[in-house]
Amino acid sequence: MLTLFRNIFAPPRHMILLVLAMWLGLLLSEKRAERHGIGKDNFNNLIFYCFLAFILGGRVSFILQNILAFIKNPLDIISINPDLFDLFGAIVAAGIAGLIYGQRRGLLFWSTLDALTPFFAVITIGLGFSHLAAGTAFGKETDLPWGINLWNASRHPTQIYEIIASFLTFILLWFKKYNPRSGILFLTFTALITGFQLFIQAFRADGVLILNGIRQTQIIAWVILIFIFILLEIRLKEKVT
Amino acid sequence: MYTRIIMQKNQRIILYILILITGASWIVLSIDNTGASNIAAPQAGFPAPDFTLKTPEGKIYILSELKGQAVLVNLWATWCPPCRAEMPAIEKVYQDYKDDGFIVLAIDMTYQDDPFAVVPFAEQYGLTFPILLDETGETAAAYQLRSLPSSYFINRAGIIQEVVIGGPMSETLLRTRIEQILQ
Repeated sequence: MLTLFRNIFAPPRHMILLVLAMWLGLLLSEKRAERHGIGKDNFNNLIFYCFLAFILGGRVSFILQNILAFIKNPLDIISINPDLFDLFGAIVAAGIAGLIYGQRRGLLFWSTLDALTPFFAVITIGLGFSHLAAGTAFGKETDLPWGINLWNASRHPTQIYEIIASFLTFILLWFKKYNPRSGILFLTFTALITGFQLFIQAFRADGVLILNGIRQTQIIAWVILIFIFILLEIRLKEKVT
Repeated sequence: MYTRIIMQKNQRIILYILILITGASWIVLSIDNTGASNIAAPQAGFPAPDFTLKTPEGKIYILSELKGQAVLVNLWATWCPPCRAEMPAIEKVYQDYKDDGFIVLAIDMTYQDDPFAVVPFAEQYGLTFPILLDETGETAAAYQLRSLPSSYFINRAGIIQEVVIGGPMSETLLRTRIEQILQ
């Protein structure tokens, strides 16, 4: 079954899974947006501008990092090739666009993030499926019975761990009692996802190792957790309006 | 869950500290001293699967003997439109970088292609890099081929640094990836 799934969604078709997750995430987020004080129109416009900035920002950032290659072929600036893209630049651009739009429309920062939380949660599930299809984010070799055969070895199914963790996070947040304090939903989501990543990274074989074998991503996740806990405390001190 | 958390601040702080201590312990417990994997696999981070293949003229190329050079392994077929579309760009970058220690090994999937179409194709496009013939499908299997074209950018140490599945690759994309494997 795993082989069939990987054949159907072999790269570049694994991107379909991400697009599906985006669509489903938006649908669910839109459904709950009004609960967080965000009107459907504002929500959809916010997503539209962020998405536009994501696409443009990813390409512009890639161009700036490889300016000499583009000088030789300026027409490639408008190439439809998705590999000419910088994900980090795209996320930063989408964030900036969201902030600008939110400020102009008077959207509350934390409430907006809460409204977007189902979207982010479903995206992380989709990301797990897309990793599984592409065979990326793969695990270390293992003799355990639930190991999957990938890249010529039996490996920890880290992509499946990722899917389970993301799915549990989504279920927990979707069905939890509504909390009137804004930001708590989003911060709980980030804490859970970061915590799960800190755990799962131990089974990954493709991470960057620093300082005698410590995984860089685990250190980053641990530091992020500290910031999330501080932010949670700050948010919990705020009075409910 | 939240009701409890909101009501008890001290419990919350203890919980944060416990989580952080558990996290730090887990980081130490999961220290990896096993080093990089030596298993060859067609994925970024692994040593590239080795192969020995012939050109239509009979010249033999062994991938493992090209260590020290940056290699682009491109799996293609004459009937595949994106493969045909990216060949001029590959030829152009090959000309630009071959003196820096860059080589292209374009492997025709001869076992599912017309073997007599390969040489005319190379002549038509003016290709000067080595074109190899996979007559048995062994190399396609080793690279777990699922789409054509598939390109593997292999650094000087023989490690795959980037995989591009599908095409056509633009000249700019090729340049950015080649610059990386030449470093």
